[in-house]
Amino acid sequence: MDLDITLFYRVAYFVVIMVVTALVAKFAKLLIRRLFRAGMPLVATHAQQVVVIIVWIIGALFALELLGIRLDLLLLLIALVGIAAVIAAKDTLQNIASKYFSDVYVPYKVGDLIKVKNFSGRVIEINPISTILLTENEELISIPNAVFLREIIVNISPHAWKEIIIPMVISKEVDLPEFESEVLKSCNKLKMYFDERFPPIIAIKKRTGKSVELRLTLLVKEPSKKDAIVSEINERVNEIIERMKKRE
Amino acid sequence: MAKDLITKYGCPPSGIPLSLLKEGDDYVFSPGGVTRMVFPLLKQIVGRKFITNPYWVSLNPIGPERVVVDGITLEHVALKSERMRGYGLVKEAIWNIIHGIKHEPASVAHLLWGDEYSDYTYYNRICAERILKLDAEQDFDLFYIHDFQQLPTGFMLHSLKPKVFRWHIPFNETTIPAEWKHFLLGYLDSYETVIVSSRKYLGALRRFGYRGKAYHIYPYIDPEIYKRPSRRQVEEFCEKFCIAGSDRVVLVVARLDPTKGQDRAIRAIARVAKEIPEVKLILVGNGSFSSSREGLGLSKASRWLSQLQKLTRDLKIEDRVIFTGHVNHNELEAAYARSDLTVLPSVREGFGLVVLESWLYKKPVIVSSNAGISELVVDGKNGMVFNPDNPVELADKIVELLKNSELAAKLGANGLETLRECHIGEGVRLESELLIKIVEGKD
Repeated sequence: MDLDITLFYRVAYFVVIMVVTALVAKFAKLLIRRLFRAGMPLVATHAQQVVVIIVWIIGALFALELLGIRLDLLLLLIALVGIAAVIAAKDTLQNIASKYFSDVYVPYKVGDLIKVKNFSGRVIEINPISTILLTENEELISIPNAVFLREIIVNISPHAWKEIIIPMVISKEVDLPEFESEVLKSCNKLKMYFDERFPPIIAIKKRTGKSVELRLTLLVKEPSKKDAIVSEINERVNEIIERMKKRE
Repeated sequence: MAKDLITKYGCPPSGIPLSLLKEGDDYVFSPGGVTRMVFPLLKQIVGRKFITNPYWVSLNPIGPERVVVDGITLEHVALKSERMRGYGLVKEAIWNIIHGIKHEPASVAHLLWGDEYSDYTYYNRICAERILKLDAEQDFDLFYIHDFQQLPTGFMLHSLKPKVFRWHIPFNETTIPAEWKHFLLGYLDSYETVIVSSRKYLGALRRFGYRGKAYHIYPYIDPEIYKRPSRRQVEEFCEKFCIAGSDRVVLVVARLDPTKGQDRAIRAIARVAKEIPEVKLILVGNGSFSSSREGLGLSKASRWLSQLQKLTRDLKIEDRVIFTGHVNHNELEAAYARSDLTVLPSVREGFGLVVLESWLYKKPVIVSSNAGISELVVDGKNGMVFNPDNPVELADKIVELLKNSELAAKLGANGLETLRECHIGEGVRLESELLIKIVEGKD
C-alpha cells in the first residue's frame, strides 16, 4: 500500500515537473522574443530553439531523478564525452560557429567580390568549414570561416556598402506568399531610407522538411543609418513571424 | 467554382477535361494573346511526343484549378479581388513603362515601393510555389516562363533546373527608364536563357546588359486553324457591320488600347476618304484580359473606345469607321477575306501576329515601323512600312494600295511567302531544338 502511494506521488511529481517545464519553456520563448525584438529574426528563432531544448533537458533530468533514476554518473559521462568532442573538433567547431555568425553579421555573400588578408576573389561557396574564393586567375582559395571573424574583410562588390541582408526562417506551415507580401508592405513604410531603384527582394536560401530559410535584401541610401534601419526592419519582421505563427 | 464544377461534372482527380466545360460560362480558355500562340505550339510539341505531360501554370480566375486538354494540364491560379486589383495595376504600369508610355504613378520607383507591388510579387510567388510543388511530383526537365508579368517567377524558383524566359512584348533599351535597369536585370539574370521576338529586340537586350544566353524566335501561327470562309459567311459579316459591296475595306485587328494606334488609322482614313470616298475602316477587337470584367477589370478599353468614337465625330467620319468589338473566329476569317488591306498602326508592338493572319489571306499589309514584325517587311516587296507618328504617310500608302490593285496583289502574294518563316512548323522546330540544347546543356 505504502509502495503504491509513493509511486503515485512520484508519478504526480513527474507530471507536475513536466508541466512546469512546458510553462518555463513557453515563458523563455516569450522572453527571448522580447530580448531579440530588434535582432536578426534568424538568430531569434535559433536562440528560442536552443533555449527551449535546454529547458526541456533540465526539466526531464529533474523529473527522471524524482522517479528514482540516478543521473550523476550519466551526467558525468555526457560531460566527459562532450569535453573530449569539443577538444578534438575545436577547429571545426570554431569554423562552424564562425560560419553561423558570419552568415548573419559579416557583410558578404555568395557572388560578392571580397578581399581578406592578402587574398581577393569572388565568393563561390560558403560551406560549414570554409569560404571558397575564385580569383581572377581562376584559382580556388579556401579560407577557414573563423578567419572572417578575426580579419578585416573588404567587400568590393558594387553597392555592397548599401546592402542590408536580413536572414529569416519560417515554419513550412506559414503561408510563404502571404508572409512575403506582409514583409514587403512593412518595408514600404520605410521606403524613404532605401535606394528606390532596388525594391526589397526576398529569396529562398534553403528549404527543409520543416522550415524555409529566406533572405531579405534591401539597399540603404545612408550608410550612417544602417544600424537603426536594420534594427527597425528586424523588429518588424519578427512581429510578422510571430503574427503568422499565431495564424498557423 | 471548382467545387461547383466537380459537383456538376464529376471531375476526376487529375483535372477536369476541357471538353466538359462551357466556354465563357465555366471557363475562358484564352485569356491572353500569348495563349493564342503558345497553346498551339505546346499542342504540336506534345503531339510529336517531343515532350510529355507538360503543366501550364497561369492566372485564370474563371475556371477550375486544374483542366486537362490534349495531354496538357492547365493549372490555374486565382487571386482575391483586392490582390487582383493591385496585381493588375502593377502589371499595366510595367507594360506601359516597357512600351515607353507615360505612366501613373509618376515615378517608377514609387511603383516598386507601393503596396500594389506586393500583390504583383504575391501572384508570382504563388505561381512559383505551385510550380515547385508540381516539380516535386513530376520532376520536370525545364521551366519555361512566358511574358513580363511572370518575370519574377523564375527568380523565385529555388531550383537548379534550367529556366527559360520568353519576352513577348517589345524590348527597347532606350525606352526603359534608367532607374528600372537594376530591377529588370536582376530578374532577367535569374534565367539561363531569354528568348525575344525579333532580331532588333535581341540586340536591345544585349545592349541593356543581359549576360545570359539569348535568342530570337519569330512568333508563329498555325495556318490549319484558319479556313477560307464561304461567300455566305462573308455576306453575313458585311450585313452585320453594314459593309456595302462597293466599299473599299481597310482592316485593323487589335485590342482596344492606345498602344495599338487605332487613332492613327482613323486620322489616316479621314485623309484617304477625301480621295477615295468609298473607303471604310473596320476596327476589330475589344479590350484585353486586363480590361475585361472577368479579368482584371481595368477600364482602359472602354475609355479608349470613347476617345476613338469622339475622334471619328471630330473628323466627321463616323460613317466610315466601324467598331465591331469582339468577333468570333469565323467572323474574323470573313473580315480578312473581305478586306482590301490590313493596317498594323501600333505605337509599340511586340511582334504583330495579325500581319501573319493577313498574309495567310494574301492581303497586303501596311505595318508600323515600331512593330517587331517590321523587320520581316521589305517596303514595296511583301508589304509597306510607315512611321506611326506620321498619319499622312499612312494615308498615302493606303491610297497607293487601294488604287494599285496589281501592287496590292503582289504584296499579298509575297507576304504569303514570308509567312513560311513564321509558320508554326518552323516555330516547333526552332523551339524544340533550343529546348533540347538547354536540357542537355549544349546551348
